[in-house]
Amino acid sequence: MADPHIIVEDLVKTYPGAARPSVDHVSFALPRGEMLALLGPSGCGKTTILRMIAGLIDPTAGHIRLNGREISQIPVYRRNMGMVFQAYALFPHMTVAENVAFGLEMRNIPKSERAQKVARALDMVKLGGLGDRRVTQLSGGQQQRCAIARSLVIEPELLLLDEPLSNLDAKLRDEMRDEIRDIQRRTGVTAIFVTHDQDEALSMADRLAVMSAGRLEQIGTPRQIFDAPASEFVAGFIGAGNFFPGRISAPGLAEVEGIGTLAFDGAGTPGDAVKLMVRPHRLKLAQDAAPGPNRFAGQVEKVTYRGQILTLAVDVAGRRMLADMHTHAGALPQTGDRITLTVAPVDVTLIGGGGA
Amino acid sequence: MSATAYPAECPAGRNRLIVLMLLVPGLLALLCTFLLPMAWLARASLSAGGMTAFGSELTLANYRAALTDPFYWQVGLNTLWLGVTVSVFAVLLGYPIALFLARTQSRWRGVLTALAVAPLLTSAVVRTYGWMVLLGDRGVINSTLAALSLTDAPIRLSNNSLGANIALIEILMPYAILAMLAGFGRLNPALEEAAAMLGANRLRVFWRIILPLSLPGVLTGALLVFVLAISSFVTPRLMGGGRVFVLGTEIYSEATVTLNWPLAAALAMILLGIFSTVIVLYQRALRGLEG
Repeated sequence: MADPHIIVEDLVKTYPGAARPSVDHVSFALPRGEMLALLGPSGCGKTTILRMIAGLIDPTAGHIRLNGREISQIPVYRRNMGMVFQAYALFPHMTVAENVAFGLEMRNIPKSERAQKVARALDMVKLGGLGDRRVTQLSGGQQQRCAIARSLVIEPELLLLDEPLSNLDAKLRDEMRDEIRDIQRRTGVTAIFVTHDQDEALSMADRLAVMSAGRLEQIGTPRQIFDAPASEFVAGFIGAGNFFPGRISAPGLAEVEGIGTLAFDGAGTPGDAVKLMVRPHRLKLAQDAAPGPNRFAGQVEKVTYRGQILTLAVDVAGRRMLADMHTHAGALPQTGDRITLTVAPVDVTLIGGGGA
Repeated sequence: MSATAYPAECPAGRNRLIVLMLLVPGLLALLCTFLLPMAWLARASLSAGGMTAFGSELTLANYRAALTDPFYWQVGLNTLWLGVTVSVFAVLLGYPIALFLARTQSRWRGVLTALAVAPLLTSAVVRTYGWMVLLGDRGVINSTLAALSLTDAPIRLSNNSLGANIALIEILMPYAILAMLAGFGRLNPALEEAAAMLGANRLRVFWRIILPLSLPGVLTGALLVFVLAISSFVTPRLMGGGRVFVLGTEIYSEATVTLNWPLAAALAMILLGIFSTVIVLYQRALRGLEG
């Protein structure tokens, strides 16, 4: 990254009386104009990081640099960051336009210019003409748009979004997901959002930071995270996976107890104990039961029909594996069938093995 | 629609009947202890003046007597003025406490709230005597000042309207705090954070967010204290030393000293009129605040 817009370095937050830090030496950098998703289960510290960047929480230790300048001592009201709160936090005693104008008013922007900017911001989020409404009269989606307009009209250094879609119903969520992505691209604002939803993170972000128990597990593009997870936690949190503990027997080959030999993409050091992963949708039905590497013979325990795909739970040597099959007109495996699954070596991932 | 229009097995009709039956005890109690005495009071205010035996004829003479006598106008003004000063100061002094209690994250919040309203556990009479001990000419404050040779003569802190005001403000402040706490429902830490993110420092957050959102609570607190202050009579009478004349004290002396019950009733009805006016104004103001 040549010129990161924001750098977080060794950030720590320990609450008084807590046994372990909520945020534990987290470091990452984000280039200008990119959108980063902080992803993780609840309580992993992702919101705490966002609030420290915003200035709403003081870090225990570490640095936050914006354009190369340390900002952790700057009070929240001088940081010039836009934040979209989980429940939007619109001011209930003001109209839509007054809400959006608030930040401009705090910056002493003259009234006529303010009105222009507010109108433009409301148009951008498709709320044009609703400026005189009370915010309590808006629907959930409209409140969300109003909150986005309010945080962008001040032309912030960073746009921060705290679980922006969690308060919307499923249909609206998909719509707002595209909309937020689109607005972020058009305005070119550097953005960080917090989510626990992997689909949201994969589809919206340029870069994902996966967190667990206060630590940053991995940061990378959605593809890197999905295809080359650095840990079993990341692999399991982003999508489903079948995991196999094994030992490297030769470069590109590992022995897994009860299964046999797995050929994978990469080399590894012979003798090392490793974890291998196969995504359920990479598994295929083998036409014959011939033995060999990358073959899993077992009995179908459960079939879940999900429209486009069929998820099989298969008992393979006492281990439960998940396999996703595309549904088609022909016969599909039934519960109790004996089947053999196979996978191409390129689709067997060595956890923590680096690039894919 | 009456409940009897439905057969007994119809659930909606039966529910309605149960609701009505549950209302009966409360309504009966209200009728006996509130509505009937009020009706009697209204009737008494229209009786011929004099002693407690009322004639059957109706007359407006009591109202005429009350409204044409400059003394009662002065009493009315005193009462309103007492209500205004007491409610303004009780709310001003109680506001920071209520705001703190509403916003604190402390685990002692419950205890602190209980402490703030604990004075309500002692009667207003007892607390009034307490203030007499403190504020009297030979009370704690004046004797301390004299002992320190800071004053030659006692400062008149009681037996006047200043004393009545001081005691009433303290006695009614817990009500103001409670009412304000109940009215601070729209305060929300996320709104203050949002304002700060948009560039508002703490002072501007207070003026633009906290204050406007807490106004309904302030209004409720002020209304409650005002109503309690204009209807008070023990404290003005004891702290005023017979020199503070408000509607409460006058109604009391007309009823128990002069024994002119019809005039006392008329004064009570006038006080009731003031209450109603204030409550209507309060409702209007509240609607204006909440849009």
